[in-house]
Amino acid sequence: MTTRRTEYPMGEGAAGQRPGTLVPGGVVGDGRYRLLAEFGLDERVDAHLWRGQDNQLRRDVALTLLVGDPANATAANGARRVLERTMHAARITHPGTSRVLDVLGPGNGIGRDEGLLGIVVADWSQGTDLVDLIAEHPLPPATAARLLEPLAAAVELAHHSGMVLGVDHPQRIRVTPDGTLRLSFPGPLPEATLQDDVRGLGAILYLLLTGRWPLRNAPALPHAPLAPDGQVVPPRALFGYIPYELSSAAVRSLADDATGGIRTSAGLLRVLERAKQNEDATQAIAAIPPDDDEGVEDDDGTVWTTRRPANDRAKRRKLAIGVTVLAVATVGVLAWVGMELISFFGDSSPTSGGPTVVATAPGSAGGNSGSAAPKPPQPGTPIQAAGVEVFNTKGTPDNPRKANRAVDGDQKTSWKTDKYQQPFPALKPGVGIMASFAESVPFAEVVIDSPSSGTVVEVRTAPSEKPALEETKVIGRATLQAGQTKLQLDTAEPTQHLLVWITTLGDGNVSELTEIGFVRAQ
Amino acid sequence: METRTVRRDEPGAADGEQVPSLAKASGSMAVATLVSRVTGFGWKVLMAWLVGINVYNDSFTIANTLPNIIFEALLGGVLASVVVPLLVRSQDDPDGGAAYTNRLLTVGMTGLAVGTLIAVAAAPLLTSLYVDDSTGRANGDLVTAFAYLLLPEILFYGLFALLSAILQARHVFGPTAWAPVVNNLVIVATLVAYAVTPGEISLNPVRMGDPKILVLGIGTTLGIVVQSAMLLPALRRIGFRFRWNFGFDSRLREFGGLALWILGYVLVSQVGMVITQRVLTAAAAGGASIYANAWLLFQLPYGVIGVSLLTAILPRMSKAAANNDIDKLVDDLSTGSRLSAVMLVPISAVLTVTGSAIGVALFGTGATDVAQAERLGDALAFSAFGLLPYALVMLQLRVFYAMKDARTPTLIMVVMTVVKIPLMYMCAAVVRPDQVVIAVLLVNSLTFVVGAVLGQMWLWVRLGNLHSKKVVRVIAVSVLAGVVGALAAWGIGRVALPDVRSLVTAWVNLVVQGPVACVIAFGVLVALKVPELKPATSRITRLVRRG
Repeated sequence: MTTRRTEYPMGEGAAGQRPGTLVPGGVVGDGRYRLLAEFGLDERVDAHLWRGQDNQLRRDVALTLLVGDPANATAANGARRVLERTMHAARITHPGTSRVLDVLGPGNGIGRDEGLLGIVVADWSQGTDLVDLIAEHPLPPATAARLLEPLAAAVELAHHSGMVLGVDHPQRIRVTPDGTLRLSFPGPLPEATLQDDVRGLGAILYLLLTGRWPLRNAPALPHAPLAPDGQVVPPRALFGYIPYELSSAAVRSLADDATGGIRTSAGLLRVLERAKQNEDATQAIAAIPPDDDEGVEDDDGTVWTTRRPANDRAKRRKLAIGVTVLAVATVGVLAWVGMELISFFGDSSPTSGGPTVVATAPGSAGGNSGSAAPKPPQPGTPIQAAGVEVFNTKGTPDNPRKANRAVDGDQKTSWKTDKYQQPFPALKPGVGIMASFAESVPFAEVVIDSPSSGTVVEVRTAPSEKPALEETKVIGRATLQAGQTKLQLDTAEPTQHLLVWITTLGDGNVSELTEIGFVRAQ
Repeated sequence: METRTVRRDEPGAADGEQVPSLAKASGSMAVATLVSRVTGFGWKVLMAWLVGINVYNDSFTIANTLPNIIFEALLGGVLASVVVPLLVRSQDDPDGGAAYTNRLLTVGMTGLAVGTLIAVAAAPLLTSLYVDDSTGRANGDLVTAFAYLLLPEILFYGLFALLSAILQARHVFGPTAWAPVVNNLVIVATLVAYAVTPGEISLNPVRMGDPKILVLGIGTTLGIVVQSAMLLPALRRIGFRFRWNFGFDSRLREFGGLALWILGYVLVSQVGMVITQRVLTAAAAGGASIYANAWLLFQLPYGVIGVSLLTAILPRMSKAAANNDIDKLVDDLSTGSRLSAVMLVPISAVLTVTGSAIGVALFGTGATDVAQAERLGDALAFSAFGLLPYALVMLQLRVFYAMKDARTPTLIMVVMTVVKIPLMYMCAAVVRPDQVVIAVLLVNSLTFVVGAVLGQMWLWVRLGNLHSKKVVRVIAVSVLAGVVGALAAWGIGRVALPDVRSLVTAWVNLVVQGPVACVIAFGVLVALKVPELKPATSRITRLVRRG
């Protein structure tokens, strides 16, 4: 997209085909003007646009060099016509157009062997190339309107006197330090019409707004995209922020057909003035802070390159950040609400806080309780198990790594048996949790918190951590209710190992124990 | 040059112009994508039936994502988003891109081979990163055992991705779409073999030589090997010959710069993934498998509708971006967003209403218990709203990459992850451990909402008018339709249907509520005369007719 002057060596190479002419440092106009740098090429009349120096007056000039063979009659006629029209237009004095200093023709300031058909000498405009200005970014619409207005006014002035200014080529236009466009390389084409000037203004407006050139005459610039009907697409379709009025003005000035087109520079001027006023109003409201990615300042240091052409983008960026922050905040709130909802649904399944059921100890629990049962012990203080393990006699143990969840004091965690196809004792006689304690203590109660109602649990004393089931002794039995069930034990015989043994599973052949509490006897 | 001529004479490519139209390409791919998604999902369900949703499944699931993650980090994101556009451009080379392709393949595969070796060596490290077994609810050793067997997949993921990129650049989509189906079939066979293999996987201690571990691990890796081998005949048919070519293409440098940002994207998203997995493994057994399966279910509709649309739309968008044709780019984006909204929002509604029924209906049998299956379904229901935001994020991603901007997606991912991490830990703190997985998926969807908003905003900053109003209007209408459909189905569920308690009741609920929600939601869209429905429905009817 960037079209910089440094990319022009192609043009210089083409000039080099005619030996001795048009290289920097060369002289033209019978030695009067020294060429400094090429600024462009208007291919339609083979007009080379150079910055030069007047060797006598020692000042910079803008040279429009019409290259061609004097023997070629058509070319020579065309060049003569350009010079004539330029002379006419030279009467216009306006900041929007450079003053024409001289017009040279063959035999009239130009040597026979120079290969030139004519030279237009004009005041050199300080500032920047138009092409360089838009190379980085398209301009904000209001800035574009303000830049273009003086040029449009110059065209309007010329048209009043029936003269064509010739503003239809982007490289002929430069941006002055005080922020206006100026026709710096005058020289209207032989057959240019007033309408061409208006079209040129529209094209420049298009260029300022979008960075693309909508006419066919400047191959160095990226061309504007075409809609399927062959027309260029409106600037607004490229950049949505462009006001409709400006966008449509640019397109309407370009239009060939009379319907709805802008045909006079006065019409375009009015649109530009309105756009400029709009901008003045908005600028008074909000000053846009500079954005970072616009760092390249043109070495001319002109007013225009230090401005922020993309302030519209900066504005959008601010809005984007605002909307994002809002979205993040909303999402945070939604997450909290969602989790509350999940917790709400989760709590509906009974896991804790059920009724406490006290299962009194059966008089003579278990057939193998051989010794005479003493009085039921009185409950004392709760005691924490030193370690728990899943006790399993047949097959694989059920969730062995989770056994400690049943004694971790956390109502949210639990130990669960596997899910069995058939009730015990089809696959195994039962499954349980073996709790080991630091020392032998007499137990009075075991409190089991479980959602699996219908589960039948035995509490057995065990001689070791991994005994055979036959070695253990039943000291309590209960059918669990959903919630807490207290099992009173019928012996206070001290033991270091206590087995909570599930003999019948709950609903769906699975049982879950949320929490098991052990209470020692007094 | 020669390869290009061959391509033109290729019967498959001859029936259209050089670039197949969007509808045609996505239509033919949709069937393959559908089948591959369904079979891919099929083996996950089968796994839940045969293995259960428990520590075994968790361990395998996590170990199976590791090669994916590492492949993504090494090459994946870069391939999908950068290599295809670059390959397309390289076809304008005098040699039709052959040298560039060979170079890419050589450099890519060498890098992957080295990466695979390092990854296998570092398997225990990777496990400890992704698995938080401090609470005793996960088994890191088992994950490591699986990881040793599954990590070599990296190399073949890479091969598959590179080869399919080459085929896609030549507009050959068929084999790439069908190869994953073969992979899935291999895994199904593996699972059956696993089921008939005698013995149990011992958890304490985990033994690497356990036949069940070996069967599952090696079989799964074999699937990926077969999947990449499937592409070789197609490559030969387009006339591609591989030659070692270690040179450096200057375009690879451009690729390098982009790749760095894409790598950043993957790494940042992995930070989110690591946190997610740690929260899940610490919370409850089965969490990781529930998450993986719910996420898969979540992606299923996107996979069928979104991916087939995206894969076809991506080359068009990169072409538009290369030509600086912003209008066309914006047009593709807007069309994609609106089509996604019309298709996906009603599906979200269906998933929200029937979530737990779906979970139980699909998973509540075999070794998996109903409570876990229902939890899976609930997780799906709570996250279903994220379907459209997710699709939009993916679409925007492609637009950014098409514009050769890899930085913005990474920054968006950073924001999403920054939002995600505290919310993840909030899940662990607020919600009951066994429900954490539901909250995690909810948070996941919410971060996609953030991502979608952010992406749209930055594209707007970049491209100007995105026809956002049009998109928002279509989304609003779709949401309205979805809500109506969901409410109707919910009402019917309350009045006439039994609670989801078992496989049978789940299917009853699903079969009644699903179609009701679907028909009513799309009915509302039809009644409101949403224009986007037309291309979508015509595509579906075409699919149905073909099927």
